[in-house]
Amino acid sequence: MTIQMDDRLSESPMVALDCRRCGAAVLARKGSWNQTSVQWNAEASAACLQRRDPDNSSAYSGRGVFLGCSALTDSIVDAVGDGDLPVVDEKVYTAT
Amino acid sequence: MTLQSNTDEIREIEAAAAPTRFARGWHCLGLTEAFGDGKPHAVHAFGQKLVVFRSGDGTINALDGHCRHMGGDLTRGEVKGNEIACPFHDWRWGGDGRCKRVPYAKRVPRLARTAKWITSEQDGMLFVWNDPEGHPPPPEVTIPRIEGATSDEWTDWHWYATIVNTNCREIVDNVVDMAHFFYIHGSLPTHFKNIFEGHVATQYMTSAGRPDLGGTEGARMLGTTSVASYYGPSFMIDDLTYHYEDADHKTVLINCHYPIDANSFVLQYGIIVKKSEALPSELAMQTAVALGDFVKMGFEQDIAIWKNKARIDNPLLCEEDGPVYQLRRWYEQFHVNVDDVTPDMVDRFEHELDTTSPRAEWMKVVEANLTESSVAEAIR
Repeated sequence: MTIQMDDRLSESPMVALDCRRCGAAVLARKGSWNQTSVQWNAEASAACLQRRDPDNSSAYSGRGVFLGCSALTDSIVDAVGDGDLPVVDEKVYTAT
Repeated sequence: MTLQSNTDEIREIEAAAAPTRFARGWHCLGLTEAFGDGKPHAVHAFGQKLVVFRSGDGTINALDGHCRHMGGDLTRGEVKGNEIACPFHDWRWGGDGRCKRVPYAKRVPRLARTAKWITSEQDGMLFVWNDPEGHPPPPEVTIPRIEGATSDEWTDWHWYATIVNTNCREIVDNVVDMAHFFYIHGSLPTHFKNIFEGHVATQYMTSAGRPDLGGTEGARMLGTTSVASYYGPSFMIDDLTYHYEDADHKTVLINCHYPIDANSFVLQYGIIVKKSEALPSELAMQTAVALGDFVKMGFEQDIAIWKNKARIDNPLLCEEDGPVYQLRRWYEQFHVNVDDVTPDMVDRFEHELDTTSPRAEWMKVVEANLTESSVAEAIR
């Protein structure tokens, strides 16, 4: 079975972005100020410093699931501030 | 701010037939104690009938339920030593799938081998490895240990199983379905994040209590914190803490299933509760049973929807919905050959939902319910 495409991504695609700490290249999308999706690839996962830090237990769930990287979160906020990453719900839509 | 489209085109629901290929991965069949009595047990799974039995050497085995000789039903046979004996002509099959002996024959025929599933017993549960390609499980694909399951500081399993007549993708979809937790289960999500990576799909959720749902478990609770991960296609471990005014109750909730066929599955849950000063032994077990009943009610609420809903491959999503398509992309890795698993199925994907707007709406519903019940109280 082929998985169909999420219409939301056709309307507002994910945007390429580098983590300002480790340089991990990811795709990001801001649905709103408080809504973020991030698509990693194997290289980006391997590059992430927080992920590799054995003392960084707060970034992991009790069962070892890496919950997220705060440096990348900061980079995404910066990218929004710099106008490199649009926030979907702040786009002004005009009916076509 | 709402995106408006003025085309007259109708959105059609698209749905291919449910796949008849069953997922590669570890599947929990239930508690070991249900299979370990030395008698053969019939399990309808993966479109077949399996015979599950504990042999004399102590291991639990899972074989195709029909004897390769004349098709006898091994689930109605008898365990003799380390083998299952067919009730038709007493052919003996070992846990490795090979015919060990035909008592009335000088030798066993060539190719006397049947389908078998690798089994594993862990933390009181029985697992089988299903793989249409017939490979053994890779070492990195394991079910994590559940420390509480073998600890005196936790209760025993409170376990429940039920049959659901729909394809099991429906229950997997729940991983990302934030809004249904309000509309179907009466909880109030306050934080919601999904993480898919490798063979693990996680849902991190906090929720607030529902003071308007008088008399239910949901009304007594202040809220919950839940970290729930599917390890493979069918076995979810949920580290679930219920917050009450006086104390936190730590629980582990298992939510697992195995397919019977393309259009039905066995849904099971298990719950253990951590004992504490507030919850000594007996009270902890009562809590496990009470919370289990609460979870059971939740499953029944889901089942009522599944019974009548349409299968849909192209859900129409709003910005406040979770990543259904990315979850299904993750789920697809278990339905293709290992060589056909693509990086996008296993690469890390995160999605953190903004619950602000849903919460504002839901709080209005809660307030309205509270007003309504206080008015009802006043005129009584």
